[in-house]
Amino acid sequence: MTKRKLYLELENCIGCRSCLAACTQCGGHEQKNRNYVYDVNPLVNRQTMPLMCLHCADPACARSCPAQAIQIHETGAVLSALVEKCIGCQNCTIACPYGIPKFDEEENLMYKCDLCIDRTKDDIPPMCASVCPSNTLQWLTEEEIEMKKQSHDVGNDKWVTSMHYLEGETNVTVNLPGILQGTVKLF
Amino acid sequence: MQNIPVKQRAKGVQSIDRAFASHFAKSMFITVSGILIISFFATRMFTHVDLNLYGYMVGTIVFLGGFFYRFIAWGERPPTKNLIKKGLKLLFRKSTPKTSAEHLATYRFIWNRGIYRWTQHVLIGWGCILSCLVTFPLVFGWMYFTMAESGMYTIVLLGMNVMTIPADGFIAFMSYNALNFSAIMVILGVCMALYRRLKNLQARAEQQFMYDFLPLYLLLLISITGLALTFINVFLHGAGHYVMSLIHQYSVIITLIYLPFGKLAHIPFRPLSVFARNYREHYGEKSMKQCRVCGNEFVSTEQSNDVIQVLGVNDLEFEMKEGFHLAELCLPCRRKYRISRFSGFPTHEVPVKEANQNAKG
Ligand code: SF4
Ligand code: SF4
Repeated sequence: MTKRKLYLELENCIGCRSCLAACTQCGGHEQKNRNYVYDVNPLVNRQTMPLMCLHCADPACARSCPAQAIQIHETGAVLSALVEKCIGCQNCTIACPYGIPKFDEEENLMYKCDLCIDRTKDDIPPMCASVCPSNTLQWLTEEEIEMKKQSHDVGNDKWVTSMHYLEGETNVTVNLPGILQGTVKLF
Repeated sequence: MQNIPVKQRAKGVQSIDRAFASHFAKSMFITVSGILIISFFATRMFTHVDLNLYGYMVGTIVFLGGFFYRFIAWGERPPTKNLIKKGLKLLFRKSTPKTSAEHLATYRFIWNRGIYRWTQHVLIGWGCILSCLVTFPLVFGWMYFTMAESGMYTIVLLGMNVMTIPADGFIAFMSYNALNFSAIMVILGVCMALYRRLKNLQARAEQQFMYDFLPLYLLLLISITGLALTFINVFLHGAGHYVMSLIHQYSVIITLIYLPFGKLAHIPFRPLSVFARNYREHYGEKSMKQCRVCGNEFVSTEQSNDVIQVLGVNDLEFEMKEGFHLAELCLPCRRKYRISRFSGFPTHEVPVKEANQNAKG
């Protein structure tokens, strides 16, 4: 039974792309990464942010799949397409509000972040969180996430729930940049 | 009856539907009647029915029940319904035969997933198809053999004599042994699949007994007991034939009943991949959707609208204050748009291609 969840502290990202490299090495990912790292303002500075599947509570990808190929694991992880079920319509790629699922034309198969389910089902952090050197991606218990919230709640409304910036409830908590402004950060 | 919309009632075209309590009842009735009618003619008014095979008939009917139950429930989901409706309309595209061959016969996409997996899938898939093509026509009397003069068999297909062949000739040999060949194919394929499941670490992490192994064991049981029947007839002069044929028959029936509910359910549902390809090709040729941010064409207009509609049915509204729906943005722009929401800076409006998303260098 998984007790921990993926927690993102976006502003920590240094753009090293370790998470992308680690993703390729996860079992079943067949050397193809399933997550993204973006330059926020590429012509001006080097700030980057990762973007990965947020494992929606009501996933648009699975809702739009005519083949029911996208299953939801008991841990809440929204899994990659089942190989024998995916019929290659690509509805999921159009439906996901964050543009996460990728499609392999040759294999006629969608693939997306499965939260490294072979690891996270046993509460081992996913590959990306395992390698992130800047603690942008963390694997935390509910209590730890709550503590983050408390410690960052500096009475100036700077803790922002991820919900506000997302399209629906997610299993991944995204902590937005700016919340730590003016506070000393000790990883 | 009360819940039939007035519009439909007025049209009167739905009167057939009104004779049945449900979609399910109608589908079952039509299919079973169809089988009976074909059998009636094929068996020359039921004079050539092989009653030894009645267990398979029962199994088939139960299978049909399960199949329609699953298929109808599945077809009610909004995205599925949409795809089936449009796919049927587009069934007669020029490319359909080629797509069907690649998706359903040669499994080109599985080849691209790996030659080992392709080989195992061809062996299992074609082994099963071949045995179904032999078994079910025999069960329902659509095909049988008669011997009018000694030494010569006449193959009767759908009640018509198609050809007369020498009982010890090549075609006869192939006919008697078709099921043996298909059994050997399935056994080889299943062994490859089992080997992969035992060796491949990823497969080991994800597989479940009921979902991944049970179907393989069932296919193995059918094939081995089938081959054992041949063995008993050829080498043991039929000793134990009755018991073995019962075991074989039961294994087939159980597999048929299980088929619509587990991994094997992809067999009857898989043709939908042809629908999906036609849908994408047809509407893609008609009109492509331009990304509302960068203007690149990324999907057919039809599919973008369909997805928006399906999401709406599910209460997922992704209308943004900028005036677009998220399904109207190409994927990179959609991702950048999210970064802009996180950061407050309009990343999606900076015309720079996304950099290094493959962790290479
Ligand atoms: S973020 Fe996209 S891919 Fe991930 S669960 Fe939600 S809709 Fe599906
Ligand atoms: S591409 Fe595959 S997983 Fe995605 S919606 Fe279509 S069938 Fe489902």
